[in-house]
Amino acid sequence: MTKFCLEIDSVDKAFPGVKALNKASFKLKKGSIHALLGENGAGKSTLIKIITGIHKQDGGKLLIDNVEKTLNTPNDATRFGISVVHQERNLIRRFSVGENLMLNNLPRTTLGLVDYQEIALQSKKWLEIMDLDIDPSTIVSELTVAKMQLCEIAKALSLRSQILLLDEPTSSLSPQESDNLFLLLKKIVRDEGVSIVFVSHKLEEVFNICDEVTVLRDGKNACTSESIKNLDRKKLVKLMIGRDEQIVKSKRKTDGTDKTILELKNVNTDLGHKNISFELKKAEIIGLYGLVGAGRTELAKCLIGLEKINSGEVIISGTAITIDSPRSALEKYKIGYISEDRKKEGLILIHNVIDNASITVWSQIKKILGFVTNDMISSRVNPYIEQLEVKTPSIYQLISNLSGGNQQKVSVAKWLAAGTDILIIDEPTVGIDIKTKAYLHKLIIELAEGGTSIILISSDMPEMISLADRILVMKDFKLNGIVKNDHKYDTVSANIMEYIHD
Amino acid sequence: MNKKIPNFVFTNQFGLLCLVVTFILIFSTVTDGFTSRFNIFALSRVVAIDIMIGLAMMVVILTGGLNLALGAIGVCAAMFGGWCMETMGIPVIPSIFLILGMGSFLGWVNGMITVKTGVHSFIVTLATMSIYFGLMTMLTEAEAFRRLPETFTEFGSMKLFKKYISPLLLLSLATCGALFYLFKYTDIGRKLIAAGANPDAAELSGISVNTMFIYCHVLSGFLAAMAAIMLTTRIGAAIPSMAGQLGMDWLLPAFLAPVIGGTLLSGGKLSVFGTMLGAVLVTLITNGLYLIDVGEFWIRFFLGIILLIAVLLDKTREFFTLKSVIVS
Amino acid sequence: MKITQSSLLKKDWFGLLIVVLLSGTFIAMLKPAFLSAFNLYVLMVSVSYMLIIALSQMIIIAIGQMNLSVGAIGGLVAISFSGVMEVYQISVPVAICIGLVIGTVCGFLNGYITVKSGISAFIITLATLYIFKGINLGITEAEPFYEIPETVKNFGNAKIGTSPIPYLIIIPVIITFLMWVFMNRTETGRHMLAYGNSVQSAELIGISSSKVVVTAHVISGFLAAIAGMLVVCRLQLGTPNIGDSWLLPSFAAPVIGGAILAGGKVDVIATALGVLIVAIISQALVIFKIDPFFVQIFLGVMILLAVFVNRYREYKQESSKKIFNND
Repeated sequence: MTKFCLEIDSVDKAFPGVKALNKASFKLKKGSIHALLGENGAGKSTLIKIITGIHKQDGGKLLIDNVEKTLNTPNDATRFGISVVHQERNLIRRFSVGENLMLNNLPRTTLGLVDYQEIALQSKKWLEIMDLDIDPSTIVSELTVAKMQLCEIAKALSLRSQILLLDEPTSSLSPQESDNLFLLLKKIVRDEGVSIVFVSHKLEEVFNICDEVTVLRDGKNACTSESIKNLDRKKLVKLMIGRDEQIVKSKRKTDGTDKTILELKNVNTDLGHKNISFELKKAEIIGLYGLVGAGRTELAKCLIGLEKINSGEVIISGTAITIDSPRSALEKYKIGYISEDRKKEGLILIHNVIDNASITVWSQIKKILGFVTNDMISSRVNPYIEQLEVKTPSIYQLISNLSGGNQQKVSVAKWLAAGTDILIIDEPTVGIDIKTKAYLHKLIIELAEGGTSIILISSDMPEMISLADRILVMKDFKLNGIVKNDHKYDTVSANIMEYIHD
Repeated sequence: MNKKIPNFVFTNQFGLLCLVVTFILIFSTVTDGFTSRFNIFALSRVVAIDIMIGLAMMVVILTGGLNLALGAIGVCAAMFGGWCMETMGIPVIPSIFLILGMGSFLGWVNGMITVKTGVHSFIVTLATMSIYFGLMTMLTEAEAFRRLPETFTEFGSMKLFKKYISPLLLLSLATCGALFYLFKYTDIGRKLIAAGANPDAAELSGISVNTMFIYCHVLSGFLAAMAAIMLTTRIGAAIPSMAGQLGMDWLLPAFLAPVIGGTLLSGGKLSVFGTMLGAVLVTLITNGLYLIDVGEFWIRFFLGIILLIAVLLDKTREFFTLKSVIVS
Repeated sequence: MKITQSSLLKKDWFGLLIVVLLSGTFIAMLKPAFLSAFNLYVLMVSVSYMLIIALSQMIIIAIGQMNLSVGAIGGLVAISFSGVMEVYQISVPVAICIGLVIGTVCGFLNGYITVKSGISAFIITLATLYIFKGINLGITEAEPFYEIPETVKNFGNAKIGTSPIPYLIIIPVIITFLMWVFMNRTETGRHMLAYGNSVQSAELIGISSSKVVVTAHVISGFLAAIAGMLVVCRLQLGTPNIGDSWLLPSFAAPVIGGAILAGGKVDVIATALGVLIVAIISQALVIFKIDPFFVQIFLGVMILLAVFVNRYREYKQESSKKIFNND
């Protein structure tokens, strides 16, 4: 009989407006590496949060070593031997490696004082398991990200964790570092008997190291604990994206003018972008596709003047320009940016709907001495709030009381109201229910038909293929290629994948 | 910005208003001198200055910061005014503008340092408090200016409305009105609030957050200078110790009024009316405690307790509003 | 392996030690009177209680908070200590115990209210500052206690043998040593620093935040109490305004010592050297007959400079490690 060290049985979890998990299950075999896959918004992160005790499930069971357990806090998860390995977050950066490893239970001398020699001795053992040849007295902040991550794993091992959760562990590692990590993971599974849940977007990694796969789609299981041997790349992609996903065929006719509105020529940025060149035509939607860490959001932030462009040209309507702040991006060049991080960068949660929706237009509608009233604002902004069908009892309702989908509509509304020529839309549908998602897709197409040029950043392949006219594939802060989108899913996605993995 | 008028009954301000009325009723029945012409006049002068100090702190709390140098700026501005009028013989009106300019300038320095270095305004203003006050004491050699023009000092002892009310109070109320207008009916005011509430979101929405934060500090310095002018006309002289050691005597009223009035310490939410009522409440209680012979030395103790209760109440209210959000 | 010399250079206190030695030598060369027995005595006396005040603030900075009521606690303890001896004729050791208990209770209140309410320690200690100060003034009615027992007075004046070393500095030196041990070699101390570094990580590791915060405030109150009583010994009387001017120096020394106000980085030795630097330069200003108010400007400028330097160093460290994730 196979032993399962972790079993998730028909777990449900709902958030206001979204059903994040709907009878999701998976079984983790002892001593195996199990891939947990799914598109953004499929429910992966919710499931991880349930396993680590951050959220509590609404229904269903969680079994550890065949015994049902309730996890109320992250502490409980640690106690039951579950550890999450973040890239660097769980380490105290100013402490030494050894002390970080032992911090829960610092060894003491007979006087009751912390025994640093003993720390070095004990932690050395765990570092050696991870093949880490570093002095335990090294300060964590002096390590590379890859080594920090290995230290985190060493720390989890030192806590006698039996289940390790690795969430996108390779997103900021070099290929060699990733290979090294995989070797070590295989080794600790073999030697230490731990089991690993592996979350990644990169399918080649999954085939490289995982034994079994669970795929989530829209909060449900697309497959449960399937052996990797029965799957190939194509099948896996199919499971993740699903056949029933409608590719909305964009029926719009691209504007005949073919006028280039924005052009980048060999742009290099402070953040590390190299030689980015592309053109954006009037009323065109171009997509920026890439893996996490490809530098897409960063490129957007450089474009709107939040970060510096070091060399190369940015040309708007024929003239080379420099944008020094989001303010001049908006006021001089009519460029807007809808952030992927709605709560931190998109909205002001402690303010109401109307203030959030109108933030971009105050300067435009002010009269003498900056005079602005709520009536002036609402007559300007209300049409957009109505057009977007924002569900709110009143425009004076606090934005934090709205559902995620309606919040997203408000953060779109403020840019519609501002009347931008170029709109950069960053992951518009992450964590948003399917109905609103379809609505937002329709809206983006309508916007383009109305003459707005759009740069769409999305990790959602079907979304990309249904909306974009051309898809720019980015990798490691470089532009790897441009795919002309004819909305035929299989060929286009294959082309994109080629550029990502070349 | 605020909810609609029918909800006024549930707001913090309404609660404060009730408290103010209650305390007025209590003190006027329990004590003898409370409603006397003399006491009301004295109250109106004190309230006027406390409101101004509270507003000066409020506009920096709006950014999620603090201005510990408030008192130091006030004293510097007052001493500078004294020097202008007494030593340089500059007429009253231009002097007032110079004083306000001085306050704004010192606020601007705070704002610039805070924004350019990204250091929290607490430590910046802690340092500038000491620098401003030290410079002032050195330059004035800790000597007061006591021979100010009569037109200037008379304003402080002037009595209006059958000699009940000081014109200083009207000035403060006018300032409240102006600030209310600023935050409610102008684009700059709205931008200041948005920048304080979520600097990242505001910046991405095309607001220059740094400029807004500097404006807040300038405004704070300006209002501190206003308070200083009022205090100088009231005592009829510009004295280095008029706000205590390093100007720190102003800090208690400065924090009490906005915090009681419902200004969010993390920034992005303020209430001009609430700050005004907060200042009124604090002055009332202080005055009432004097009159019922609590002893002037215990008054600080009670003010500390009031501040504590105010923040704790604020927290519970937050807790309940959050809860109702989750339920709805 | 690293070379010991370079790791020495990385320590916060090393640069400060150089500053202390250089400024000391420089001043002594210009004014040999700086090294006179009397001058050294005065220097050490002022260092003695400032050291404790700085440590009292430092431990709160370590957990990423601030304690505005350090001075108010010190003042309340000072008048209680002298008051019980004058009014109730209580013996010195008992009076010391009473003082320590009051300081500890005040600190506990600060910590407890902060933890339970979840409100920032800044505003809580601002409120308790006025509460403690109010009790102080309510009891004394602004009148000092003059009747201090001879033993206490002698302790405040005495020097060790014929040396210029005051008795007053003995306790602060011991406490500095104990604090160093506490912050560097005890589990509680390490957990405090971990908590100051990152509340979130500390909680994930299983460090109890309420325990850490309350302990830090209790220690802070205890140290403020000692400082208050030392000042009584030095002044030979218990005045109600003891503690009024502690706020600025209490922040100055830790910040000059490289402490970061966001928490998690404090250094006991560097803080002590920070106290020494402030004392030496203040003393120098007196010797050079510079306007005493200049000390205030100087303190402010020092704080600003120190903050810039700390920030710059932190920035350099961070930017060299900067990586690009979070698409």
